[in-house]
Amino acid sequence: MTKPKLRARLAALSFSEKVKILEKLRERSLAIAAAGLRSTRRGSGKVIEGKVVQKDAE
Amino acid sequence: MKATLEAINQMQADGVIGKYAIGGAVGATFYLEPAATVDLDVFVTLPVTRGGLLSLQGIYDYLKTRGGKVEDEYIVLGGWPVQFLPSGNDLEQEAIAESVAIALEGVNTWVMKPEHLVAIALRTGRSKDHIRILQFTEQGAVDRKKLTDVLNRHGLTSKWEQFERKYLEGHL
Repeated sequence: MTKPKLRARLAALSFSEKVKILEKLRERSLAIAAAGLRSTRRGSGKVIEGKVVQKDAE
Repeated sequence: MKATLEAINQMQADGVIGKYAIGGAVGATFYLEPAATVDLDVFVTLPVTRGGLLSLQGIYDYLKTRGGKVEDEYIVLGGWPVQFLPSGNDLEQEAIAESVAIALEGVNTWVMKPEHLVAIALRTGRSKDHIRILQFTEQGAVDRKKLTDVLNRHGLTSKWEQFERKYLEGHL
């Protein structure tokens, strides 16, 4: 299967199925971070607790 | 994520937040293939404080008394770090107001329309935002006419033209 076809197939999944994949991707990401290979944090957080100063949507 | 959305809906029912909509990578996943993300971006309308400032303090106070855990700019709900982003401009307010009602595992929630996700990504303007815009355009997941209207309405036409020149010329 070509990459565009695979992407189209993934995009056509139901949101529930996609969220399951998202959760697996997130677990993998956290596992990699826990192994010290990279950080889980984004470097540009703009919200100080209780005070919003700038948006920074993922 | 079901528990996360249930908690957010409860916050809405309790009046801590107003209308909300999912944006960011999770919002985009509704229309595209899933993309790795560590958090859930929730754009919210908030009650205005006496001083006229938008504040997340009400959310923090509410969630702390219910066992919510604050981690940097996130609040962990149902295992997911959630970033609450008060709508700070007309584009985000429109994106929330016109968001699409969906159900995830029986839980009602709202996701931004693709045109608003693209416009917000364009305005935010980081590399990963540009990648996401390209995904929307390459996969035909955004209505170009509606997108043009949103961009015009929110003063993003010039920025979009720059983006087109840099990334899309010769590809569409």
